[in-house]
Amino acid sequence: MSFWWLALKDMIHLGRDKKAILTLVFMPILLIGILGAAFGNMFQEEEAHIQKFKLGIVNHDEGELGELLEKELFEKNLATTAEVESIEHDVELLRQLEEKQLSIGLILPETFSESILLGEESSVNIISIPEAEIQSSIVEIVTQQFSETMGVELTGMKLVAEAGDRAGNPAGFEKHPAPVILGNPTELPFDVLKETTIEPDQKQVGSFQYYAAGMGVMFLLMTVVNGVGAMLEEKEQEVYRRILTTNLTYSQYLLGKLLGLLFLATIQLAIIILGTKVLFDVHWGESIAGIVLVGLAYVFSACGLGVLCGSLLKTEKSFSTAGMLGTQILAAAGGSMVPLYVFPEWLKEVVTIFPNALALQTFLNVMSGDHIQAVVYEALILILMGIIFLVMAFMRLSLERRKSYA
Amino acid sequence: MVKDLTKKFKNIEAVKNVTFSVEKGEAYGLLGPNGAGKTTTIQMITGLFPPSSGQISIGGIDMIQTPKKAQDLIGIVPQEIALYQNMSARENLKFWGRMYGLSGQLLKNRVDEALELIGLTARAKDKVVTFSGGMKRRVNIAAAILHRPDLLIMDEPTVGIDPQSRTHILDTVRRLNVEGMTVIYTSHYMEEVEYLCERIGIMDHGQFIAQGTISELRESIGDRSRILLSFSQEHNLQQVPVLLPNIDDKDIQLEEKKLTVFHKKPQEVLSELVQQVTKAGAQVKAVEIIEPNLESVFLHLTGRSLRD
Repeated sequence: MSFWWLALKDMIHLGRDKKAILTLVFMPILLIGILGAAFGNMFQEEEAHIQKFKLGIVNHDEGELGELLEKELFEKNLATTAEVESIEHDVELLRQLEEKQLSIGLILPETFSESILLGEESSVNIISIPEAEIQSSIVEIVTQQFSETMGVELTGMKLVAEAGDRAGNPAGFEKHPAPVILGNPTELPFDVLKETTIEPDQKQVGSFQYYAAGMGVMFLLMTVVNGVGAMLEEKEQEVYRRILTTNLTYSQYLLGKLLGLLFLATIQLAIIILGTKVLFDVHWGESIAGIVLVGLAYVFSACGLGVLCGSLLKTEKSFSTAGMLGTQILAAAGGSMVPLYVFPEWLKEVVTIFPNALALQTFLNVMSGDHIQAVVYEALILILMGIIFLVMAFMRLSLERRKSYA
Repeated sequence: MVKDLTKKFKNIEAVKNVTFSVEKGEAYGLLGPNGAGKTTTIQMITGLFPPSSGQISIGGIDMIQTPKKAQDLIGIVPQEIALYQNMSARENLKFWGRMYGLSGQLLKNRVDEALELIGLTARAKDKVVTFSGGMKRRVNIAAAILHRPDLLIMDEPTVGIDPQSRTHILDTVRRLNVEGMTVIYTSHYMEEVEYLCERIGIMDHGQFIAQGTISELRESIGDRSRILLSFSQEHNLQQVPVLLPNIDDKDIQLEEKKLTVFHKKPQEVLSELVQQVTKAGAQVKAVEIIEPNLESVFLHLTGRSLRD
C-alpha cells in the first residue's frame, strides 16, 4: 500500500507550493469572474418584458365565439398580461385610445363567429397607440390563433356529430359544438416571443455559468499538465531512483502518481464549483449527482490523457512546453475560450472527441436542467477515454522499461 | 557478490568485467577517479538498471532475477541528495520509511533513532531546503538505514560538504559497520576509504586495476614513499632519470610542474635529487615527502592522481 503514501506525499508537496496553488485555484476563479462579467450581455437573451397593458374590446359579434375570445381567453388566460375592459361603442373605444386610457383596442364584427364557423376570413380591427407595438402583435396573434384553432376544432366536431347522427348517435355527441378551447391556448403565442436556442424545458446558461464550466475544464487540463510535468521532473531527479530501490514496484509507482493526480484534479474541480457558487452565485444545475459524475469522469479522462502524453515525452521541459500548447489548443477547440454557441453544429459534434469539449458540453447540459440519467452516457464515454489513454500509457511505459532490461 | 559485471551504453563500455565480493559485516571501499565507473557499478548492484552481462547476488539473492527481493536487503545513499526539499527532515524520513514498508510505532521509533544518529533531532521539523549541504547529506544517509538493511551502499556521500559534517558522516558509517552492517563505500577521497574500509577495489576506466587490503595495496608499490618536487615553471628534466641511477625509471613520474619519485628511503635521496634538478636548470618551489597511501598506489598504477 506504499503507493497511497506516494499519492499523499504529492498532495502535501503541492499544497506547500504557493505558486502552484495560486495558478490552480485562484487563477480560475479570477478568470471566471473577469470573463463572466465581461461577456455577461452576450449570453443574456433579449427577452421581451411586456408590461401589463389595457385592452378595450367592442364585441359586435352575434355568435358565441366573440364572447368566448373576450371572456375566456383575454380576461382569464391573459389576465397577467392584459387588463380587459368591455366597451359598448367604437367611438368610446377610439376616445379612450386617443386619451391613452387604453393601449390597444379590439373591435369584433357582427359576423365574427359566423366567419369562423364557415372557415372564412373575418375582419377584426385592432387599433393601438404607437408605444404598444408589441402588445398589438400579441393581441393580433392571439386572435388569429383563436380563429384558426376554433375553425378547425369546430369543423372537426361538426363532422363527427354528423357521422354520429348517421349512425344513430351511439356516442351521444352534441349536434352543436360546445365552446371549449382545446389545449392550452396561452402557450402558443408566447412561444413565438420566447423562442430560444435551447429546448423548451431547459434553462438558458448565463455567462458566469458558461465560464465557470469552461475555465474549470481548461484549468483542470493545466493541473494535469503541471502534475505530469512534476512527475517527469521527479523522474529526472535522484529521489526517483531511490524510490525504485524501495519496496515500491514500478506499477505501484505509476498507480501512486495517478492517484495523486486524480486527488489533486478532483480537489481543484471541487474548489472551482464551490468557489464560483459562493463568489458568483453560479448555478451548476439541479443535479448535484450529475455534476459530480461528469466531474469525476472528466478528471479521470484528463488524467489519462496527461499520463499518456507524459509517457510519450521524456523530459519535463519538453512536456511542459508541449503540454501548455496542447492545453491552449484543446481549450480553444473545446469552447473554453470562445463560447460553443458560436460554433457551427458540425464542429460542436466533432470537438467532442476531446475530453474537455465533451465535459464542457455535458456540464452545460446539467446546468440547463439535465439530470444524472441524461449525462450517464457522456460520463461513460469520458471514463472509457480515460481507460484507453491509461492503457496506452502503461503499455508505452512498460515497453520502455522492458527495453532497459532487455 | 559481483561477477564479470559489464555494462555497455551503445558503443561505450562503462564497466568491464568487474568482479568482487564483500563479506558480511565488512566495509568495502570502491576507489577511483570521477568517471571510473563506480556509480554505474553501484547502480547495477542496487538494481536500478540491469548489467549487459554478469551476475549480482546480495545475501544469496539474485538481483537480476528477483530485484525487489534483493533490494529489501539494501539501503542506498546516492551521490546526489535524494530528498524532498519542501518537506521537513522528519517528514522525509517518514516517507522513506513507508516506502520501505515501515508503519505505525515502529516507523516512529526508527525515525527518532535515525534522527538521533545523525544528530538532527533538534532540526527534525525544519524543511530540508533550509539545511546546509552537510546536514542534507546526513538526512540522505538516515533515509537509507531506516529499514535496517544488511548492506548499506554509499555512493560518494561526502561530496561538497564541510569538514565537520564529513567527520560526522564518517563516524556514523563506522558506527553502523561496527554494529554489523555491511558497507560498500565509494569515493575518490582515499583518506575516507582508508579510514573506513578493510578491503578496497580500485577502479579506472571501468575496470578494477587493483584489489586487496590496504596493506596489500601498499605493498604492491613496495611500501615506498613519494617525494614530490614542485617547480615554479615547466622544465625539461628528461635527463634527470639518468642522473639518478639508483632509481628505476618507472618510479619517476614527470608532470607539467611536478616531479614524483617513489623511494623506500626518501630522506637518503632527497638532497641528491634536489641538487640534480637544480643543475638541470629547474627552480624548486616546494618539496614534500608523502608516506605510502592509496593515493600513491593509484598514482603508481595509473600515472594519474585520484582527483584528476
